[in-house]
Amino acid sequence: MFMKRGKYKSSILALSIVSGLLLAGCNGDDEAPSASNDSNNNSDEPVTITFWDENASPERTPLWEEIIKQFEDANPNIDVEYVGIPNKSAKSKYDAAIAANDTPDVGSVQTTWLPEFSIREALLPLDEYFEGSELKDKINASAIEFNKKITQDGKLYGIPYAQNLDTIWIRTDWFEEAGVKEPETFDEFFTAIEKMTDKENGRYGYTIRGGAGGSFQLQRLMFAYSGLDYFDEDGKVNINDPKHVEFVEKYLSYYEKFTPKSDITNGYKEMIAGFDTGVVAMVHHNVGSYGEHKKSLEEGTFKTIPLPKTEEGKYVAEGGNAVNIAVFNSTKHPDAAWKFAEFVNSPEAQSLWNESTGQIPTNTDVLDDEWVQNAQHIKVAFEVYENPETKLYEPPFYLPDYRSILDNLVDPGIQQVMSGQKSAKDFLDEWAKAIEESKEKYDQTFNK
Amino acid sequence: MSYSQGFPETAVNSKKVEHKKKIKKDKWVPYLFILPSFLIILGFLFYPIATVFYYSLQNYDVSAPYYNSFAGLDNFIKIFTQDEMFIPSLINSLKWVVSEVGLQLIFGMILALLLNQTFKFRGLARAVAFIPWAISGVLASVMWSMMFNEHMGVINDLLMKLGLIDEPMAFLASTSTAFGSVVIAELWRGIPFFAITLLASLQSIPNELYEAARVDGASRWKTFIYVTLPQLKNTIILTTLLRVVWEFNNVDLLFNLTGGGPAHSTTTLTMYIADLAVHGSNFGYGSALTVVSFGILLIFAILYLRLSRYEKE
Amino acid sequence: MFSTNKKLDKILTLYLPLTLMLSFTLFPIYWTINTALKPEGDILKRPLEYLPANPTVENFVYAWTNIGFATFFKNSLIVGICTVIVVLICSTLSGYALARYNFKGKKGFMLMLLCTQFIPRAMMIIPLFIIFKNFGLISHPLSLIITYTAVEIPFTTILMSGFISNVPKELEEAAMIDGCSKLQALRHVVFPLLMPGIVATGVFTFIYTWNEFLLALMLTNQQSKFTLPVGLSSMMGEFNVNYGALAAGSVIALIPAVILFAYAQKHLVNGIGGAVKG
Repeated sequence: MFMKRGKYKSSILALSIVSGLLLAGCNGDDEAPSASNDSNNNSDEPVTITFWDENASPERTPLWEEIIKQFEDANPNIDVEYVGIPNKSAKSKYDAAIAANDTPDVGSVQTTWLPEFSIREALLPLDEYFEGSELKDKINASAIEFNKKITQDGKLYGIPYAQNLDTIWIRTDWFEEAGVKEPETFDEFFTAIEKMTDKENGRYGYTIRGGAGGSFQLQRLMFAYSGLDYFDEDGKVNINDPKHVEFVEKYLSYYEKFTPKSDITNGYKEMIAGFDTGVVAMVHHNVGSYGEHKKSLEEGTFKTIPLPKTEEGKYVAEGGNAVNIAVFNSTKHPDAAWKFAEFVNSPEAQSLWNESTGQIPTNTDVLDDEWVQNAQHIKVAFEVYENPETKLYEPPFYLPDYRSILDNLVDPGIQQVMSGQKSAKDFLDEWAKAIEESKEKYDQTFNK
Repeated sequence: MSYSQGFPETAVNSKKVEHKKKIKKDKWVPYLFILPSFLIILGFLFYPIATVFYYSLQNYDVSAPYYNSFAGLDNFIKIFTQDEMFIPSLINSLKWVVSEVGLQLIFGMILALLLNQTFKFRGLARAVAFIPWAISGVLASVMWSMMFNEHMGVINDLLMKLGLIDEPMAFLASTSTAFGSVVIAELWRGIPFFAITLLASLQSIPNELYEAARVDGASRWKTFIYVTLPQLKNTIILTTLLRVVWEFNNVDLLFNLTGGGPAHSTTTLTMYIADLAVHGSNFGYGSALTVVSFGILLIFAILYLRLSRYEKE
Repeated sequence: MFSTNKKLDKILTLYLPLTLMLSFTLFPIYWTINTALKPEGDILKRPLEYLPANPTVENFVYAWTNIGFATFFKNSLIVGICTVIVVLICSTLSGYALARYNFKGKKGFMLMLLCTQFIPRAMMIIPLFIIFKNFGLISHPLSLIITYTAVEIPFTTILMSGFISNVPKELEEAAMIDGCSKLQALRHVVFPLLMPGIVATGVFTFIYTWNEFLLALMLTNQQSKFTLPVGLSSMMGEFNVNYGALAAGSVIALIPAVILFAYAQKHLVNGIGGAVKG
C-alpha cells in the first residue's frame, strides 16, 4: 500500500492549507475553497440535491461553485452537489443516466436536448413553477416561448440562463492598417477575406471550421445569407435551396485560396488558435470565445461584429442558442431543485455567470449592469437579438437524428466539398434528403 | 536438467502416462484456478456483450424510444447492401491495424534488445523509454495536436528550421498526411507495450542457450533468429494477437486528432461505430456493426492461432 | 584496433539507435513540460520558445488547486492499487491453469477471454451502468475496480500464461519431488522466477486504470469520486482550452507512472540469471 490512511489525510490537509495560502496570495479577494460547510440547520429537513454541469472547465467550474455557495448560504437546509462533465461526453452521460433512470435532480441542459429529454420523460415540466415565480416577467419571453415550442407537448422544460450568438471576430488593427471596411454584408465579407489575405506574411483573411462542429457554423451562415426558414410552407426543407448552393459554393471555394490549409480538420481549438496566434484576420464563432481572445490578443486589437446581413438588410440568428437549467423527473426534492433553478436565474447569479463566460444574460434585470453596458461583444449580441427586424429561424431539434445528421453526414460532407471530392449541390442535396427522411418518419410516428 | 530440450510446454504427452494418477487427483485444480476470472467475466462482461447481440436485431435508439421495435436482420442487410461507409472504414481499420501492430512490434523489439544490453544508466533509459505507455489517450492527443498544429506546432517549426519544408504543413488536415500523422502519434504510445513485454520475456531466456550459441560461433543475427526469436515466439504471437484486437478497437487518438476526417480518410470501423452509437445514439445499428466486427475479429483470431501454430514447435 | 572496433560496434548497435529512439520518446514529453512552464500568453506566441522565456509554476499551482487534483489523485490511486491486486491474483491463477494443464474447455476459456476484447467499450456503457445501478455501486470505487478487473483479466491471463510457460516445468516438478506441496513449489520456485512477468502485468494493469477515461466518467456521478483522467478532461472546456494548465496537469498525472516504471524496470531484470546479453 502506498500510504497509510492517516498519513494521507494529513498530507491532503497540508496540501489544501498550502494551496489556500497560495490562492489567497495570488488574488487577494479569493476565498480558499472550504472543504465542507455542512449546514447544521435543524429547522427544516436538510436535503441534498445533485447538479450536473454539462460543460465543465477550469473557468466555469469555479463559477458554479461560487453560485452554489451563495445558494447554500441563502438556503441553509439545501446542499447542492456539483458534478462537472466535460462537454464532449455530456450527452452520452445524460443518455446513460436517463436509460438507467439515475438522473441528477437538476442539470444544465442545452436547448437542442430539450425535445428529446422531454419525450423520454426525463424532465419535469416547469410551467407551474415558472408561472408562480417572480422570474415570470424577467426572463426573455422569446427564449421561453422557443423552449415551449420545440417540445412535443408544448410544455416548458428548461429555463434559459445564458444565451449565445454567432458572430465574427475580427482583428481591428489589421483592418485599420489595410484600410479595409468591417464587413456588414456578405459581399463585403467576401471582399474583406480576399483583401486581408497576405500569404507572403503568413496571414489569411479567414478560417473555415472544416472539422467537428463545422456543420453548425455552416448552417448558421447559410441561413444568415439566405434569410429563409428551415422548412418552406409545404414542409419541404430549404437546405438545398439554390441560394444556399450559391453560398456554399463560394464560401468553401475560399478554402486554401484565402484560408489556411489546415482548416479542413479545424475544430474549435485549432480555429481559435489560428486567430489568437495572429494567422487569420477573421473567424466565425460566437460571443462566448471573448475570454480566449482576451488572453492572447491585446485589448483594442480585436472586436466582434454580427454575421453579415441578408440582401434585404436583415440580421438572421438561429433560435435555441441557449443553455437551460432543467429539473429531472426522478428528483425526490422537486421544490429544492426548482429553488436552485430559480436561484441560477436570479439577476445576481446570471450576472456573475454571464459576465465571466462572456454570454448573454436572459434576465432583464441584468441588462442595466455596468459590465453589460461596457462589453462590446455583449452589446453586439443585443443589437441583433433586440432588433425587431432580426429573423430567428428554427432548426428541427426535435428530430432524433438532427444532431447525428450534422455530425456524421454534414461534417464530413463539408470536408469532401473542401477537398473537391463532391460538389456543393450534391452535398446539400444529401443533407436535405437526410433531414427530409428523418422528418417524414417523425411525422408519421406522431401523425402530424 | 537441460534447458535446450524442447520448449517449456503445457501438454507433454509422454508424461501423461507416467502421471496418470496425479492428473486424476488434480482434475479439478485448473477449474479452481480459472474460477475467479471466469466468474468476474461472466458476471460483468457477459451481460453487456449479450445486449450488443440482442440490440443488433432491434431498432434501438436511445434518444428516440418511440422508434424502438424488432428489426430482425434489417440492420445487417443494410450494412452489406446500403452502407457506403462500411467497406471503406473496414479498409481503414485494416491499414490502421497492420501499420500500428507491425511498426510497434519491430520498434518494440529493437528497443527491447537495446535495453537488454548492459550500459551505464540502463535503468534510467528503461524508465524513460516506457513513459509514453503511461500517457493516457486524452493527454497523448492533446500533446500531439499541439505539436502537429499548422500555426503553433513545434514540428512545423523544426522542419522549417531544418530547411525540410518551406511553409507550414497541415499534417492532420491533408488526406495524404493525416493517416500517417496519427499512426506516428499512436506508434509513439504503443512501442513501449511491446518493448516491456518482450524485455520481460527476454529475461526468461536461459543464459545457457546463448552460451551454447557462442560456443558454436553463431553471429549476432543468427543468435537472434535461432535462439532469441523461437524463445519469444509464444509471447510474440499472443501479444500481437491482443494488440491487433486492441488497436482495432482503439479510437482515442483518431477521435481526438482527426475525428475520422478529413473526408472520412481516417474513419476506421470502430470509429464509425463509436460515432454512430455514442453521438448518434443509434444503438441498434451500431450493435449490428459491432456484431459484424466481432465476427471478423473472431475469424481472424482463430485463423491466426491455427496458422501461427501457437504452442506448437 | 580491436578496442576501437568494439567501440564503434557499440556506438552503431547500441548508442546511436538508442539515442534516436529515446529522442523520439522524449520529445513530446519535453514539449509538454516546456508548455507547462510557460505563462498562458506565451504559449500561442510566435516565434516558438524552445525554453520558456518567463518560466513559471503558476500552471502547476492552478492545476493542483483549482481542479481538485488532490482528490482525483487519491481516487485514481485507490482504484489502481485495488485493481492491480485483484487482477494479479486472478490472472496468475488462471494463467497458471492455462500454461500448465490440459483440461476440457481450455480452448473454450481462451476463446471466451479473447471474445471479451472484441467489443468496443463504448457499446458496453449503458448495460454496465444498469448492472452497477442495481448493485447500488454507481460512483463507488468498487464499480470501477470490478469493471477494470473484468476488462483486464483476459489480457493479463494470457500474458501471465506466457510468462509461466517460460518457467521450466522441470524446476517445479523437481521441487515437488523434493517433498514440496504444489503451493510450496509455486511459492518458492515458480514465483521468484515469475517476478518480472508479475511486475510487468501489474504495471500494465495500473497504467490502464490510471488512464482509463470513458468508463470512469460514465460510472461515476459524484465529483468527489472522479479519477484523474476525468478530472483532466474537464480542463478542456468547449470554449476554453487552458494549454498551460492542461500540460501541467499531464505532467502531474505522469509522475506516479514514471516512479512506477523506475521501480518496475529493476524487477524486469531480476529474472533468470539476471541480465542477459542479446
